[in-house]
Amino acid sequence: MFRHTPLRYATLAVLAAGMFAAAMTAEYFGLEILTEIAILAILVLALDMVAGFGGMVSLCHGALMGVGAYAYAVLAAKAGLAPPVAMAAAIAISGACSWVIGAICARSHGIYFIMATLAFGQMAYSYAFDSAALGGDDGVSGIPRLDLSAIGIDLNDGQSFALFCLLALAAAYGAAVIILRSGLGRSLTGIMHNEQRMRAVGLVTWRVKADVFGLSGMIAGLAGVLAAQHIMFVSPGLLAWTVSGEALVVVILGGLGTLVGPLVGAVLFVLLKHEISNVTPYWHLVVGVILVAVVMSRANGVFGWIEARVARWQAPRVISSRKEQVKNA
Amino acid sequence: MLETRNLDKSFGAIHVTRDVSLKLERGERRVILGPNGAGKTTLFNQLVGELRPDTGSIHLAGEDVTALPVATRARRGLSRSYQKNTLFDGLTVAENLALAASVATGNAMNMWTDSLAKPEIRDIVDDVANQVSLIPYIHAKVSEVSYGVRRQLEVGVALATRPLVLLMDEPTSGVGPEMAKGFHDLLNNLPRDLTLLIIEHDMDLAFDVADTITVLNYGEVVFDGLPEQARGSQLLKEIYLGSWEDA
Ligand SMILES: Nc1ncnc2c1ncn2[C@@H]1O[C@H](COP(=O)(O)OP(=O)(O)OP(=O)(O)O)[C@@H](O)[C@H]1O
Ligand SMILES: [Mg+2]
Repeated sequence: MFRHTPLRYATLAVLAAGMFAAAMTAEYFGLEILTEIAILAILVLALDMVAGFGGMVSLCHGALMGVGAYAYAVLAAKAGLAPPVAMAAAIAISGACSWVIGAICARSHGIYFIMATLAFGQMAYSYAFDSAALGGDDGVSGIPRLDLSAIGIDLNDGQSFALFCLLALAAAYGAAVIILRSGLGRSLTGIMHNEQRMRAVGLVTWRVKADVFGLSGMIAGLAGVLAAQHIMFVSPGLLAWTVSGEALVVVILGGLGTLVGPLVGAVLFVLLKHEISNVTPYWHLVVGVILVAVVMSRANGVFGWIEARVARWQAPRVISSRKEQVKNA
Repeated sequence: MLETRNLDKSFGAIHVTRDVSLKLERGERRVILGPNGAGKTTLFNQLVGELRPDTGSIHLAGEDVTALPVATRARRGLSRSYQKNTLFDGLTVAENLALAASVATGNAMNMWTDSLAKPEIRDIVDDVANQVSLIPYIHAKVSEVSYGVRRQLEVGVALATRPLVLLMDEPTSGVGPEMAKGFHDLLNNLPRDLTLLIIEHDMDLAFDVADTITVLNYGEVVFDGLPEQARGSQLLKEIYLGSWEDA
């Protein structure tokens, strides 16, 4: 079950300070990278909620993000809705789609669950690709950013937008923590450990799965809304299953079921991508090698590895302090 | 409180439940005896809804629940423990109990508040941990505690749903005589209005806690009566006690 540890708090503090400092000092390109990190981090938070705490390994979270992006694009750019209304509606729409997918897939497990979510993702992708209303291959352009001029903020400025995305990330993290610590989130973790027993104690397990999947989809939708505002353009590529695959890689690289780990994973992933692609076009190859190394090491990602090291380092101290207690007694 | 009428179930050619009619009054403590493979666990699976009977019906507190899913029956007060431990292995003892308690208190679907911090859930966790002697292990992970402790937790999770009817499938299976005695004390300390249906191999324990006894053989009720009658029954000796006394 989810809980914060001193190490997790410390990691969050370092991440928050680092990202804030980067937002205050970076130039144009750095701000772009920072924004990319924030959006990816929101998406992987959403994925870790269901995969790491519910065993629901989803290959449609990229598509859910895409649904949020398209919904915002259509409502704000085509239907002319005010951006805040379009944002809220887009998040609600991706949440609703996600709830339905979760409810349908809740009865399948393991590889079948993965395949079912992949199928839903591919359906969304091909719909966006073929639909004239959604601009087909060309996508939708002319997407406005949120207008915060009333409080003196211009989100068309790169720095302001990066800070806005960081704020959204903080809100998404807070929401994920509240959900995972709630009765609903704990029920989900109970289901992951033993669905039969959760049913035997009276829980309607599919509802729990669908509800958390829906909430997770809302967070993925938020990532999509921000992505659409960031590049001011959406195309079917956003819904491609490779986006979901990449998100899963980031979650595993960071540490499945730790919530903090995927944030670390998102930072490492985007930084690595930019650093390595400066040197060689084969950056996917390098990321692949790193992923294989992480998986083969049997550690739970980079953050999981650190947590295990810290736990081992603390273990002898606990024993020696117990010995002292015995001595003092 | 709990009643079955003409329950029947076959797995292909194996007839595992034959025309079983049982009736438990509120607060009654009934022990089910029967040799291995008699269909005791299969009967439990039908009572809680994990298996559908082929024919016949099941009634809980006067209502026909035969068509209701497992979770609905559980929320109406029917709880069970398993012969083979069915726990949340990666979680702590307290978390195991809290998961069950959060369903019973209507907190399992709540999206806002931390269920582990709720006083009503903590009270149940403490209470049940006390009842089944789990206080010393309360923060240990299930994977870290001994088999005997897990056996106690198995009953504890069932109790944490605050049931009206509790079904226990061989709660003492695989534990030593000392722990079996502990279960005996536990049973005697349970509230008197809780209806109990216990599958039990330990004859002493069975005769001691039972108000009534049902004996199953080849899926059929071959005895239904008081413990004193069971002790004297010739039929029972032949099919069940005999084989035990010889052993
Ligand atoms: N799902 C199933 N499919 C087919 N046969 C089954 C199934 N479950 C149980 N059986 C068979 O039904 C019979 C009764 O099994 P059950 O587990 O109910 O016996 P039991 O009285 O609980 O025995 P024990 O004392 O060993 O626990 C056995 O012959 C068993 O092999
Ligand atoms: Mg059995």
